[in-house]
Amino acid sequence: MAMYIRVKRSKTTYFIQCDPTEKTLEIKNKLHSLIDHPVHDQRLILVETGDVLEDSKTLADQKVENDAVVALTLRKDDNEFEDVNIVKPSDFYQSRDSDGGSNW
Amino acid sequence: MTKEETVKLISSEGFEFVIDKKAAMVSQLLRNMLSSPGSFTETADGVVNFPDISTTILEKICQYFYWSLQFSSGKETEFHIEPELTLELMMAANYLDT
Repeated sequence: MAMYIRVKRSKTTYFIQCDPTEKTLEIKNKLHSLIDHPVHDQRLILVETGDVLEDSKTLADQKVENDAVVALTLRKDDNEFEDVNIVKPSDFYQSRDSDGGSNW
Repeated sequence: MTKEETVKLISSEGFEFVIDKKAAMVSQLLRNMLSSPGSFTETADGVVNFPDISTTILEKICQYFYWSLQFSSGKETEFHIEPELTLELMMAANYLDT
């Protein structure tokens, strides 16, 4: 195995095995087999830089390295892509504290 | 890579980590769960809940699984562990037989 990336959306992280020479589109194809959204409804963003990954470029070209965190956003009903939404455990604690733990 | 070839690990806070079965097999506990047909409901669904493992630790564990696969295929890199995670991580590793 050459490398892996962590694709995150909301509270879910997908560990995707890949190769630096693979193109973004191939990653989207792999995601398509895990989630039910077709490749053209997916947008991948390298979290470190905020760059949107282009389908035809390779991971190496776009400085996506081993263990990189990539945000997945999906196309909404109005044809626009949603904003990056990655929930972190610390955010979760804060929100739980702020509502006084009433969900328990 | 298909859905059938992955497992979903769920942390105590309900965060989900989808990893390859091959990576999960680094853990002897998960290997036993995934390769003993019928005895665990986890085998059928490919979903394993860890109510005692926090999200941060579970993610670290998943990273370790993949690091371990890379290491065994000859790519020798260091695995970085934040000092404050050490104790919790050791307890989880002990539980997972990793």
